Amino acid sequence: MKVKLEALTRVEGEGALEVYLEDKRPKEIRLSIYEPPRFIEGILRGKPYHTITDITARICGICPVAYQMSGVQAVEDAFGVEVPEELQKLRRLMYYGEWIQSHALHVFFLHLPDFFGVPSFLELAKLDRELALAGLEIKRCGGLILQTLGGRTSHPVSLTAGGFSSLPESISELLPSVELALEKSLWSLERFKNLEFPRFDLKEVVFVSLWEEEYPILKGDICFEGQRIKPSEFKEAFDEFEMSYSTAKHARLRDGRVYLVGPLARFNNAFDMLSRTAKDVALQLGLEPPVKNPYRSLLVRMVETIHALERAKEVIRDYKKPQRSKVETHPRASEGFGVSEAPRGILWHHYTFDQEGRILSADIVPPTSQNQPAMELSLWEFIKDFEEPKEDTLRELAEPLVRSFDPCISCATHFLRISVKNRA
Amino acid sequence: MRVGVFKFSSCDGCQLAFFDLEEELLLLSEMVSIEYFLEATSYNRWGELDLSFVEGSVSTPEEEERIKKIRESSKFLVAIGACAVSGGIQSARNYEDFSEVYSSVYKGHYVVNPFSRPISDFVKVDLEVRGCPINRRALKEVLVAVMHQRSPQLPTYPLCLECKRKGNVCVAVAYQKPCLGPITVAGCGALCPSFERGCYGCYGPVEKPALEALQGGYERLGLSVENLKELLRLSFNGYNRELRGWL
Repeated sequence: MKVKLEALTRVEGEGALEVYLEDKRPKEIRLSIYEPPRFIEGILRGKPYHTITDITARICGICPVAYQMSGVQAVEDAFGVEVPEELQKLRRLMYYGEWIQSHALHVFFLHLPDFFGVPSFLELAKLDRELALAGLEIKRCGGLILQTLGGRTSHPVSLTAGGFSSLPESISELLPSVELALEKSLWSLERFKNLEFPRFDLKEVVFVSLWEEEYPILKGDICFEGQRIKPSEFKEAFDEFEMSYSTAKHARLRDGRVYLVGPLARFNNAFDMLSRTAKDVALQLGLEPPVKNPYRSLLVRMVETIHALERAKEVIRDYKKPQRSKVETHPRASEGFGVSEAPRGILWHHYTFDQEGRILSADIVPPTSQNQPAMELSLWEFIKDFEEPKEDTLRELAEPLVRSFDPCISCATHFLRISVKNRA
Repeated sequence: MRVGVFKFSSCDGCQLAFFDLEEELLLLSEMVSIEYFLEATSYNRWGELDLSFVEGSVSTPEEEERIKKIRESSKFLVAIGACAVSGGIQSARNYEDFSEVYSSVYKGHYVVNPFSRPISDFVKVDLEVRGCPINRRALKEVLVAVMHQRSPQLPTYPLCLECKRKGNVCVAVAYQKPCLGPITVAGCGALCPSFERGCYGCYGPVEKPALEALQGGYERLGLSVENLKELLRLSFNGYNRELRGWL
């Protein structure tokens, strides 16, 4: 017998969940990704360093800025470029814009319909138009920040090694939108108090995030279980490997343990660094680290959205157009590392360059590959005791669990097919 | 009207333009029936469609089969974005040694075609929407036009016109920056020159692009034909029919 769900829906990309049965009981599961590889790292080889921001952005339409930030910082690391603090602040603002847009998209369009028992955001809007419009308002604010600093909501064009290609005269027009989005976020979160979250906790998963001067987003050391390692030491602590059933690579800690990156990891590792309002609302919701229920990541995403909006407000208020939008970059034979917190977790880049700044090698580890073993482990814990699981049961129960991890399969390379296979 | 949105090899960025329609997306969902859109809904049917949007390039044997099935079930088929129209950034590999590109990323064996191709290499496309990614203004124009059975008004002229209208300083003339504006279709709002950088061609080439003339301009900037070809291969539209013969 073989049961199969043709496609996992409301995720970014294409993957498959296969459940193997022995004597009607689940024996093994595989979360496989069928997204056709696009060989971005291979295409980068031999190309000039300045193409990294435009090319790696296309790994993901939802979090292009994350790719641009990690990439550009790897270039700056390699060429010894120090980016002035005032420009780094504006990079943070741009990144907040992406977090706000991406989190609003996941919370309202992809995740929330599960809690209302409807198939889509469009159906949700019929049940609760006010809530849907609030989500749109929040998403719009993130998009506006991106448009103002980068020209468009996806694949913005302004980031460059050393800073920005140019910066706007004024950004104060963003304030009303940020204030409105903040109001709508707080209001939405109040509504989410009444949602029912399935009881389920992650087991034996190490939370990995960045550590920097504020709630991690732009840069920093990689932090887990009280340890801190440099971006250059990433591959020493973590192992990335291929699985025959997936075009996305998997990653684990070198000691074999499974880890998780993203909102839950950041929240659990850096709770104290959240903005005041974000921390207050988290505590009001009873969210305190460690949060181990992936379904509750919906709340954590909203808390992070509030944090991003508050921080964005500060940067916008303080904005004076910097005298120069970038500092000079001089290529040299070198290697560089760049890591930042994509909305879905740490995104690591490593490049080597020749003396003209052409790329000799490129290595990118996206958040979704890192989270794949944790997703598989959770799915296994969730369905291992099911008696003869059927396609419908998996669709109804397992798919929302996968969705709560916010997998970006475009990133990891996409089509989640779900199948149940009986072994003889 | 029955509408479908399909994805092939891509980053998902063009599908997001539907979400970018915001309140108008809600309005749209009352006027048409969205039958198939995996990223937006768990309720998908794939039967006869009046209007299909396809994002992504064709880069596997499975995709070759699927695009033919979509064509058979669609009355009007729209290719959205640089991947569907021109093969996308992943088509840069069409100009390189595939086994080298492949082995620099994977050791194991996965079924992938050496070439990433636009969907028009396999089926008849009724309309192309340009951009990497497409923008919501263009998407709205296409939706409104198809609903009213008129031709969509999308730019076919080069970016330079849009740039001049915006009052931008020419980045090629003033700053000697290589710019693909003269041969690239307008529609983005002349974004890159507005941010003081050269256009990198993500809306793809105009019809019969004056490549030799552009080459002359590049030579005056001290850039070789090989420099120009590299820019075009990395323009996200490198395997567009208007370019591939010249590259």
